[in-house]
Amino acid sequence: MKSLTVGKAEFLRVLAARIVPEIGALDAAGWVRFEAIVDDALQERTDAVRRQFGVFLGVLRWAPVARYGARFDAMAPGRQDAVLRWFEDCPLSLLRKGFWGLKAMVFMGYYGQPETHGLIGYRARFDGREGLRARA
Amino acid sequence: MREREFDIVIVGSGAGGGTMAKELAPLCAAGRRIAVLEWGAKLREEEYTGREVDMAGKLYFDSGGTFTRDRTMTLAYGRAYGGSTVVYTGTSLTMPEEVVRRWDVPGLAHADLHARSLKYLAENNVHLLPEEEQNDNNRLFLSGCRALGYQVEQFPINVKGCKSSSLCNLGCPNQAKQGTHRVQLPRAEAAGVEVITNCRVTRIGERCCDAVVANPSWGEPSKWEPGEYRVRAKVVVVAAGGAVNSPALLLRSGLGQGLPMLGRSITLHPALILVGEHDRPITNFHGHPKSYYCDQFWKSDGFLLETCMYFPFVTAKNLIGFGAEHSELMRAFPRLQMILVLALDAALPSNRTTVDRDGEPVVDYTLTDHVLDSLHASMKASARVFFAAGAKRVHAPAGTSFFIDAADVARIDEKIPRENVTPGKISITSAHLMGGCGMGRDPSDSVTDGWGRVPGVPWLFVADSSLFPQCSEINPYVTVMALADRVAEGIRANAGELLA
Repeated sequence: MKSLTVGKAEFLRVLAARIVPEIGALDAAGWVRFEAIVDDALQERTDAVRRQFGVFLGVLRWAPVARYGARFDAMAPGRQDAVLRWFEDCPLSLLRKGFWGLKAMVFMGYYGQPETHGLIGYRARFDGREGLRARA
Repeated sequence: MREREFDIVIVGSGAGGGTMAKELAPLCAAGRRIAVLEWGAKLREEEYTGREVDMAGKLYFDSGGTFTRDRTMTLAYGRAYGGSTVVYTGTSLTMPEEVVRRWDVPGLAHADLHARSLKYLAENNVHLLPEEEQNDNNRLFLSGCRALGYQVEQFPINVKGCKSSSLCNLGCPNQAKQGTHRVQLPRAEAAGVEVITNCRVTRIGERCCDAVVANPSWGEPSKWEPGEYRVRAKVVVVAAGGAVNSPALLLRSGLGQGLPMLGRSITLHPALILVGEHDRPITNFHGHPKSYYCDQFWKSDGFLLETCMYFPFVTAKNLIGFGAEHSELMRAFPRLQMILVLALDAALPSNRTTVDRDGEPVVDYTLTDHVLDSLHASMKASARVFFAAGAKRVHAPAGTSFFIDAADVARIDEKIPRENVTPGKISITSAHLMGGCGMGRDPSDSVTDGWGRVPGVPWLFVADSSLFPQCSEINPYVTVMALADRVAEGIRANAGELLA
């Protein structure tokens, strides 16, 4: 990824699998697509936004040390989820918005892949008339 | 820097710019030269793929996710030959008389605006979609609203040969939606107007624009070679780049000094997407996404409910939470009913478009308690509509739990508390960007007059949604066209003088 260091890209994978459990089952091609979508989205943003995204990943990784004595990626999945929930509801709007941005990136990387649409039953077609009639 | 010379230069090709181009095109027969400078590309037909991330990147600024300065909202607005008319759903409403009265723009009468709006309803093939072409997502909204006794209306839409792709917001792949890219711009070009795509106007000067042409990796190449241009406009420049880019362009060009309201009083119709889950598959991603709206709460609570159907990523982004519950709801996609909420926001001078040190637009927008109250009330109303339509459970962004079950319908007030309406956690978006060059009496309260003229700058006009002095309280594109039609008439009426 051009937008993130190798370490942060790897950490993003850890986070992504908590946010969308199916991401853990992506094959190599799926991961390549995921990273390409996220990378393109970050490249489209300003340097400041890219930098802030990287900093936020660092905060998420290390903040649990103060509370749980362990880095995020060294914690049990249930505890990881508790940390993410805390960030989502955080009284500090900066952290709340950071988590919203992280979620948006992960959802874009996964649900933005047409290859995942079959798994959720989304089958829009250019000509939807037959589908419309089929269930009418 | 290369130079080009025209009589009239129009910046932007959306609902405002496209209409201006068509309306002024007859002047070409008299030898006048008119150019439309459009930042975005003209996509080849085969490039309308219907793929969410692909199309968002090609047709929207920032892929449809431009942040406001405090990042509590994202803005979606188009960048293409046809502007945002390429990516709207084509819902075509005319302004209610009482809203025009509230605008209180000297000389702007409802009758005039309405007559012009009707012209564009006809021109754009606006009609009501027959019932057999409506999907379950829309029918369920209708039945839910009716069961509750809510006022509900059908949206007229501007399609021709619609194939029910549901992909309107990604650019119709079937050429059905009658945006300016299909109607006004081709007519203008046939009459001699030159439309230059991939052309970003960086600054407006005395009867000229500085512009940069750069071709992206998609779309038809610009008619001009890549590079920097000075484009002279012997008669007038028309700013029609929309509510973010028109004020930003004028500010960047140093026109803000005599116009204290420039960029101010933007309104956004802050929006939420809500989801209800049925226990059986419904037709939702086949069929036009937007057939009905409910204005039951327009006056009492300041919001509208509309049918909608979004794509996987946008849907996922608009749900609160993550993990197993979130995935479970996404896997229910064929059973999902969706409602879009629009809050009707007041025009506050502190909500404004500015430019940063690099001249890039920055939108300052504060979600007021009044707007958050409206969004809160709208979530509760939407939940009731979903349940009245038979949904087994509902996801509300401010819910105390990820799902609210049908058994809890009587406890909706308790299940969706006001204190959970948390900016920064909830996805709040806008696709109706208005104001910034608002019409009014004089520069103390406005930027333009009722004909889009900028006081003290006789060669400069504005013709887009930035003219709105307050929000439109309806989907705005027809009103943008009607106002542009009026601005064009003003220019034509003075053509002898202006073109002398």
